[in-house]
Amino acid sequence: MELKELIAVRPAKKVYKDGDLAIKVFEEGFSKADILNEALNHARVEETGLPIPRIHEVTKIGNQWAIVMDFIKGKTLTQLMKENPDKFEEYMNRFVDIQLLIHSKKAPLLNKHRDKMHRKISESGLDATTRYELHTRLESMPKHTKICHGDFHPSNIICGEDGVDYIIDWSHATQGNASADTARTYLLFCLEGDMRKADYYMNLFCKKSDTAKQYVQKWLPIVAASQLVKGKPEEREFLIRWTNVVDFE
Amino acid sequence: MKRKVQYHITDSVETLELTLKKVREAQKIFSSYTQEQVDKIFLAAATAANKARIPLAKMAVAETGMGIVEDKVIKNHYAAEYIYNAYKNTKTCGVLEEDKSFGTKTIAEPVGIIAAVIPTTNPTSTAIFKTLIALKTRNGIVLSPHPRAKNCTIEAAKIVLEAAVEAGAPEGIIGWIDVPSLELTNMVMKECDLILATGGPGMVKAAYSSGKPAIGVGPGNTPAIIDSSADIKLAVNSIIHSKTFDNGMICASEQSAIVLADIYDEVKEEFKKRNCYFLNKNEIEKVRKTIIINGALNAKIVGQPAYKIAELAGVKVPESTKILIGEVEKVDISEEFAHEKLSPVLAMYKAESFEDAMDKAEHLIADGGYGHTSSVYLNVTTAQDKLNAFQARMKTCRVLVNTPSSFGGIGDLYNFKLAPSLTLGCGSWGGNSVSENVGVKHLLNIKTVAERRENMLWFRTPQKVYIKRGCLPVALDELKNVLGKKKAFIVTDSFLYNNGYTKTVTDKLNEMGIVHTTFFDVAPDPTLESARKGAEAMKAFQPDCIIALGGGSAMDAAKIMWVLYEHPEADFMDMAMRFVDIRKRVYTFPKMGEKAYFIAVPTSAGTGSEVTPFAVITDEKTGVKYPLADYELLPNMAIVDADLMMNMPKGLTAASGIDALTHAIEAYASMLATEYTDALALKAIRLIFDYLPRAYENGALDAEARERMANASTIAGMAFANAFLGICHSMAHKLGAFYHLPHGIANALLITDVIKFNASEAPTKMGTFPQYDHPHTLRRYAEIAEYLGIKGDSDTEKLDNLIAKIQELKDKVGIKKTIRDYGIDEKTFLNNLDEMTEQAFDDQCTGANPRYPLISEMKEIYLKAYYGE
Repeated sequence: MELKELIAVRPAKKVYKDGDLAIKVFEEGFSKADILNEALNHARVEETGLPIPRIHEVTKIGNQWAIVMDFIKGKTLTQLMKENPDKFEEYMNRFVDIQLLIHSKKAPLLNKHRDKMHRKISESGLDATTRYELHTRLESMPKHTKICHGDFHPSNIICGEDGVDYIIDWSHATQGNASADTARTYLLFCLEGDMRKADYYMNLFCKKSDTAKQYVQKWLPIVAASQLVKGKPEEREFLIRWTNVVDFE
Repeated sequence: MKRKVQYHITDSVETLELTLKKVREAQKIFSSYTQEQVDKIFLAAATAANKARIPLAKMAVAETGMGIVEDKVIKNHYAAEYIYNAYKNTKTCGVLEEDKSFGTKTIAEPVGIIAAVIPTTNPTSTAIFKTLIALKTRNGIVLSPHPRAKNCTIEAAKIVLEAAVEAGAPEGIIGWIDVPSLELTNMVMKECDLILATGGPGMVKAAYSSGKPAIGVGPGNTPAIIDSSADIKLAVNSIIHSKTFDNGMICASEQSAIVLADIYDEVKEEFKKRNCYFLNKNEIEKVRKTIIINGALNAKIVGQPAYKIAELAGVKVPESTKILIGEVEKVDISEEFAHEKLSPVLAMYKAESFEDAMDKAEHLIADGGYGHTSSVYLNVTTAQDKLNAFQARMKTCRVLVNTPSSFGGIGDLYNFKLAPSLTLGCGSWGGNSVSENVGVKHLLNIKTVAERRENMLWFRTPQKVYIKRGCLPVALDELKNVLGKKKAFIVTDSFLYNNGYTKTVTDKLNEMGIVHTTFFDVAPDPTLESARKGAEAMKAFQPDCIIALGGGSAMDAAKIMWVLYEHPEADFMDMAMRFVDIRKRVYTFPKMGEKAYFIAVPTSAGTGSEVTPFAVITDEKTGVKYPLADYELLPNMAIVDADLMMNMPKGLTAASGIDALTHAIEAYASMLATEYTDALALKAIRLIFDYLPRAYENGALDAEARERMANASTIAGMAFANAFLGICHSMAHKLGAFYHLPHGIANALLITDVIKFNASEAPTKMGTFPQYDHPHTLRRYAEIAEYLGIKGDSDTEKLDNLIAKIQELKDKVGIKKTIRDYGIDEKTFLNNLDEMTEQAFDDQCTGANPRYPLISEMKEIYLKAYYGE
């Protein structure tokens, strides 16, 4: 393997291309457990038959861990949206369809979304009252077992030149309630500051999946608390506002 | 406040286990307390809570930063005083009620440990309320406070606990979680015996999914309609009063006012006059964004004064502003003002009509306050129809009229029959198990002690029974002189008609100047068609008196005509419905005798129909027999004149005589037999044994035998009219129907096998009736034998001898030994057997039989009767 052609740089990781392979190289000191978990999640999802690159190897290059998988030729949906603004609606439809396809699959051995959220709420740094409200809210949400990507964003879709839309980056995948996954995507759009895109997405998803909007909205305080764990100062005020809500009494 | 006692801190699974253990031990002791001890504790606890109402209110406001001290004082005061007052005299320990005549007792028992989830909105008053009702019901209680209000909630619990212990309650009867977390709350809910959950839907859901019985309440979204007929001043000021109470933190508080268009401006003026602020379009938008975030209520506005909420929204209003009002149009949840706001923010809608107002209210309730509370202001005198429509449509467990809903919903403040409570059930609409205001009765297990009681029985017979040979014209004299009847309708069969049997009657009627007509088209096994024809004739003739003269068929047919004449709409299917207990039957038999008086004159000695409440009619089209039974069918007068029976043919004498014998024997063995019917049954049996052979042999020559048989038949009729029959008749009915055997013969063929079957001391199943305490039918048959002077060393021997005597009587009157002897083809019999048996099992007579038969056992009896032993 040769790490010559750098194709993407993400925080704490770099992706190289070598022929038909993509090599995701993690920075030194990156949690081994997280890397192995990502590979395991990825492998579990591979078994569902969803269109995703196949993992070939988890290896070490020098002191750095790396995951080796198929290289997908094509552009990300984010790139396409930027290049063809007039096709926004068509791309959004494609985006939501892919998410619905993911939600239609099950992988019983994936981690549980609910456990992850409880953990994140506890780590959020919010005050005890708000955490109590959020834990209670989370506990009352319906328990499902659908695959949730956990970071479903147009940048994680590669529209392959072979005509297949590939979904990448399964490091946050869990099984749980699809609406939580939708709330997460909505939050990502909101954090980008594109409310028009966010609302368009939310309405389209609810329509296509026949889901009540308030049902997805119920997850927003929870996914906002989870995002707080990342500790980005510029997001803090926005996220706290979202979490500081109460159930009716 | 200074504490005398030190409590351990409950902040982990281990310490909570300890708390639960202590409460459970205390509750074990508490459960044996007397009412007097409990009432003393209840009083002491309520008094202590009452005294602490101001410090607790201050603590609550300081800790939560929500609400108004003065209003919280009222809530605390209410929770202590009103709850005490409502339940001070309520019995909650031991025997609550005893009914000696019915033999029932109800006994109250505590449920054990109650898990009480306490909300932030009413952190001290709810704690007082729940601990007081737990103490009153001898329950232990563990409070799970909200983290935002934990100190004041725990303080309230301590005050109540210490006063209770001082008054004699076991130490540790009240516990709490010091450091609340979802984990510990869930643990309390799993370990307790009952959950009293007040809180948001999340908490209520957690309660219901804990697997323990839960009384949870849900969110409210009370709409208040102000109708054109309302007293506007009262309505507006009630809403303001209620909405501003504790800054809108009572769940029953109004969330929207729906005002009829014609009074809208006037209502608006009144709101303005009382310092309510109407937001303009721009301000509405700002407030919308402030109160609701992503469809959820902004925690920052809960329990805040109006001006502060305005400030948060960037709207400037005077500090004295009572309520922020947004005039909005949409009632669905996309409108932020349509949500529950727990603050002095109110939505106001304009309704085109009362109907439109109800549509809006209905929608608001369905989206946010299913099952909770609805409110209407109108004139209850002039707009009663509107109130009726409103109360019918609102799916809320409280419907308040002209009442500020915060105060109205919690009860006993604006209506003195609605139970005071701080936990308001929302019924199945709100996912709750309780739809009323929660009180002590919901914290008790009520045991009912039910002693065995005997079922009331009765003795009913026609008001008038006239007897003695030659009495017919004498008895009929009453028709004119006592009853003043004018038109008599005679029902008989053609044989009797053609042979002049009705002449005695018609002569007498002519003599008295009573108009009459005779219907004589009644065949044996009378049909519905013939009864309908008779009823048609009655309808045309309009009699005020019916005289049925004949055997069972004529009397039964006349009864049916009587029903059709009085109640042409009656459905035979309904009337013939089987019952377990004639008093509890589903169908109410129509009232008889309003058009015509019914007189029955038997011409054969057997059926007893002249004194029974029974009649059987056959639908000739379907072949279905309708056996009707109801005391409404009891004739008003029976005339037993043996002169009419002198020339009965031998076969009829035998068959009807044996029929009467089986009536008496079955009535005696019946589970419904009483001393009244026993006496009649025994007498009838003896008369039949003594006189049936003579009447059979001598016919018209033996007037005494005829008369004794006439009486025996009627007496037996009285017995079974009250004690009912048994499976001999069940089986005879179907045997007769399948093979056209005369009813008396069919009974005769089965009676001895049925007696043997019933006499078992260890039957497969015995009948279900309180008086029938053990299988004792062998003894009953032995009693018959003893009465007849039949000897035997044991009951079994007496039974055998009784059976032999019955067999001997049957032989004497020419009854053949087996069903087969009556020429019924074996193959046909066997082919029909299963169907016939099942029908016999389902016969109305089966119910009174002392031995409850299995279908297979009845089949066995049929087979024995067919082949002989």
